[in-house]
Amino acid sequence: MANERFKSVSVIIETRDLNKIYEGALRGQDVHALKNLNLAVNSGEIFGYLGPNGSGKTTTIKMLLGLIFPTSGSIEILGTTDIAAAKVKRNIGYLPEGAYYPDFLQGEEILRYYGRLYGLAGAELNNRIDAVLELVGMTFARKRLLRGYSKGMRQRIGLAQALISDPQILILDEPTTGLDPIARKEIRDILARLRDEGKTLLISSHELLEVELISNRVGILFDGVLQTSGTLDDLLTTREVLIEVDNVSPQSIEVIEKAGFRIEDRVHQRMKLRVPEGRSTYEALELCKNQGLTLVGVMPRRETLEELFVRVIGAAEAERRKAS
Amino acid sequence: MKRYPHIMLFAALVASLAVGSVQGCHLRHLREAEAFYRWLLAAATHERLFRDDAGEFSDKELFDTVARKIESDIADWEVEDDQADEDVSTLSRVAGDRRHDHALWNYARGRTLKEERRRFLQLARERKLSYARDIDYAEAQAGGVNLFNLFFGFRKVAANFVWIQVDRYWHQGMMYRMIPLMKTCVLLDPNFIDAYLLGAWHLSYNATAKMPDTPPALKRWHPKYQVCLGEKELYYYLAIDFLKDGISKNPRNYKLYFDLGFAVYKNKLSDYPNAIRYLREAVRQPHDRWVPRQLYICMELNGQYAEALAGWQDYVKRFPGTDIAQEVGPRFIQRNTALIYELRAEEAFAAAAAATDPQEAEARRQEAYDYEQRAIQIWTEMKEPYAEYRLARLHALHLTEENRYMEAVAMLDKARWENPANFDDASDLMIEIKLRGGLPLSVSEKKAVLRREAGDICQGMPEDIRRQRLEEAKAAGVQHDPELLESLE
Amino acid sequence: MSTQDVVNAGGDALAARKPTGNGVFSTVADYLRGPWCIAIYTWREGIRKKTLMGFLILSLLVIFGSTFLSAFLDPSAESDMELKLIKDICVTTISIFGVLITIFISASVVPNESENKVIYTVLSKPVRRVQYLLGKFLGVQFIIIVNLALMGGLFFIALYLRQWVLPTLLLWSILLTYFEFLIISAFTFAISCAATSSVLPTIGGLFIYITGTLTEYLKDVEVRSGQSGEFFDEMIGWLAYGLRNVLPNLQHFSLKMQILDRAPNDPPTDVLIPHLMAYGLIYAVSGFIMAYLIFRRKEL
Repeated sequence: MANERFKSVSVIIETRDLNKIYEGALRGQDVHALKNLNLAVNSGEIFGYLGPNGSGKTTTIKMLLGLIFPTSGSIEILGTTDIAAAKVKRNIGYLPEGAYYPDFLQGEEILRYYGRLYGLAGAELNNRIDAVLELVGMTFARKRLLRGYSKGMRQRIGLAQALISDPQILILDEPTTGLDPIARKEIRDILARLRDEGKTLLISSHELLEVELISNRVGILFDGVLQTSGTLDDLLTTREVLIEVDNVSPQSIEVIEKAGFRIEDRVHQRMKLRVPEGRSTYEALELCKNQGLTLVGVMPRRETLEELFVRVIGAAEAERRKAS
Repeated sequence: MKRYPHIMLFAALVASLAVGSVQGCHLRHLREAEAFYRWLLAAATHERLFRDDAGEFSDKELFDTVARKIESDIADWEVEDDQADEDVSTLSRVAGDRRHDHALWNYARGRTLKEERRRFLQLARERKLSYARDIDYAEAQAGGVNLFNLFFGFRKVAANFVWIQVDRYWHQGMMYRMIPLMKTCVLLDPNFIDAYLLGAWHLSYNATAKMPDTPPALKRWHPKYQVCLGEKELYYYLAIDFLKDGISKNPRNYKLYFDLGFAVYKNKLSDYPNAIRYLREAVRQPHDRWVPRQLYICMELNGQYAEALAGWQDYVKRFPGTDIAQEVGPRFIQRNTALIYELRAEEAFAAAAAATDPQEAEARRQEAYDYEQRAIQIWTEMKEPYAEYRLARLHALHLTEENRYMEAVAMLDKARWENPANFDDASDLMIEIKLRGGLPLSVSEKKAVLRREAGDICQGMPEDIRRQRLEEAKAAGVQHDPELLESLE
Repeated sequence: MSTQDVVNAGGDALAARKPTGNGVFSTVADYLRGPWCIAIYTWREGIRKKTLMGFLILSLLVIFGSTFLSAFLDPSAESDMELKLIKDICVTTISIFGVLITIFISASVVPNESENKVIYTVLSKPVRRVQYLLGKFLGVQFIIIVNLALMGGLFFIALYLRQWVLPTLLLWSILLTYFEFLIISAFTFAISCAATSSVLPTIGGLFIYITGTLTEYLKDVEVRSGQSGEFFDEMIGWLAYGLRNVLPNLQHFSLKMQILDRAPNDPPTDVLIPHLMAYGLIYAVSGFIMAYLIFRRKEL
């Protein structure tokens, strides 16, 4: 923390020991959805909020927006704990997951409606509508009824309504779910542009690849507990090396595996051999050379977010099993 | 508010519900007052118009209390065209004049009658209201599965559908099924004026259209209506009851009075005094133009020529320029004037006959001739069938005076065939002349005499009434045929 | 602290949007701007509902059909029977279909919006929950009023064409009908705020309508209980007494039928009508407070 302050990074969203218990009909049916969540989202970053289904992501977001209320703990947004205050809400744009927009309205009318709810009016509102439509690339469809929109267009209109008041903070719940690759790319580009404009984005997702591509920092939530959080550079430190070789024989595989290297992607005589962290790459190369294999290439391998995710979740799950 | 928002909100909710409850109480009070007001009107109407009708009235005492209580307040209130009996309470009189409705409504909901209103609801709860049973709110007081609750407030629609069924039964000729349904219909909607009117019309006209008049020997005494009735005549009284029921619930609707007076009493029962009574009530309410005309005609039929004349004169003045005022009115004015002259002549003749002094008698006779001459002049000018009949009638009476009975009878016989409208009148006069002259009666005339003699007496009559009527008949000089009397035993 | 800078930056950006006017009026107008938008939106959405259109078309059919129904009556009997039949059927139709429309729309606006998540986008805007509810409630009222106006207007024209006299009493009748609906609507709305789907509040609304019209029964219960003198029996009596006094009594609005064939012996209605309107408004406020009480801390 001290380090962060030193870098003069301000914390825009912060939760302290946030707990949420959904009360069941009976005492035993209570669901402890969030356990002592301490989350911090810094100004100007894209925070990837990750976790499997049911881990508590949407619960967190709803609490940030005041749609549900914490059982204990506190939330601070833009330096105030009164998150229902109009000055806070004006600075938050929200795109819920799988939201429906009334299809009897034109794209522009929807934006006008939401803009009015922000207290915008007149020329200012029109300017904002023009601007966000331009931003999400929907100017061409502004007069069309939503009935005729594709899924990607709807999502972009959803994004536009979240942006209509030019908020500092954008909270997006599964923004790319169910979209085709091109639409995803478009949304991603828009998000990147927003980050470049200095907005703070909180994106909840389980589409890890997407998040990895644009996030600065991620947090991984499992079973209501924030398992880990940090910048991608910090979290994905684990380095491995892949050695690609040719002319593989069954005997050589046996030797290599006995030496403790994992073999991947074997196709006919070609394969990749993985050097785990802590083992010497030279040792592996030596082994390959000794076995008479042809060296095709040596490449460094950063751990993917997916791997981190699986690892963190796996560990948490194992712990939970142990505890129970 | 900031600190305990839930408690504050809850308090606000409780407060608003409390205010709603107070308002509900107020509305309930107003509706109770409305029921009370309707009952008051019904009871007052009953006392003023139907007090002679038989029936038990358990709520009479309450009405009397109310009447006594506000008697002094309303004693000097002006009542227009009051025809109520002497001993009718001031309240009933005042309630008969629609200009006082608003004031009565204020009494009904005001503090003065608080105790009586409470008592009224108590009676309603015990189902002891008899003047007006179907006031919906009062009905609800009795609780249980009552009509008020049964139709979710849509009982008026239900009444319409019941009426459609009544209509269907009529087309199928099922009179006996119609009657209970008609009653159901007005029970569901006590303000269903058309149901009362059409229902009474069905009863008094359609039900009896194909029935012959009941011969006297077959009539029976009806204890409720205190008259001798056959099956056919009973329907007239059912119609009267039905309309009276309607009147007590809708005392401000002229149509009900009009139908009762005109359609039933005048047309069916030829009971002109009662016809006049209800037509006068009809005229007191906001009415259509033909209503007073029927009243004047009934007055004429009842021999109240002076009143009829005044009425017609007033009518012509009130609606100048109408066809009636220009064509019909003047004729009736002439006619009643002539009738008044005839009446005066008759009175003068009677006075002449009674006079002991011959000079006096001569003077009277001269006066009578004078009146008669004026009547004859008017009749001659008029040149219409009725006038011609009146002339013939006068002529016949003269012939009778001169003991030329045969000629008088022949004159009337001719006149009655030329003027079928006056057939009955002429026939009656013929019988009288024949009896006076000792001429033989025809078979139908004998029957008519018998019918007249037995008119008031029938089977099943209580002994005291029977004896009283026989004595009355004897005093009037009617000789009863012993055979006939025996057949009625 | 730099967080404050951000807030200030946001505040500056918003400063221009802030209303310049001051005083109570502008504050109230500001406060109602959001609800007004929501109400208009709700209305635009609501009038497109197929169920509503269905009810509306059905009721219009009945209003026209009543003319044919009168053909059952004997044409030789010259009377206003036909007119009365048409009037009664039409007002009943307006009541029944109007109540259905009222219940369906009041029961569904909030649950539907939370089902399709539009509520999240709205409540995440600077709109307080009470403002949101107010907007929704107003929108519902607009829909009810428009429906009533359509049905009543058509009936008005139909009656006018029949007798060539403006049936002004009909307007009073429709007005009273609206205030009756207002009560039903408010309480159904309150139930719908507690529910997650529109099924339960719809049933609840029908229940309110039925019990509301049968409140007089409670009097009966009250009178009959307490006869045995047992505690439980007496308790039921008190309960009936309490409910009878607290629950809205929709039978008070039966004036709407009575006024239509106004008989000259009816007591003057000028006292009753304003009281009934006040009655409707008071219970509408109760219903709305109840709705807010439920919705204020509701987890969405």
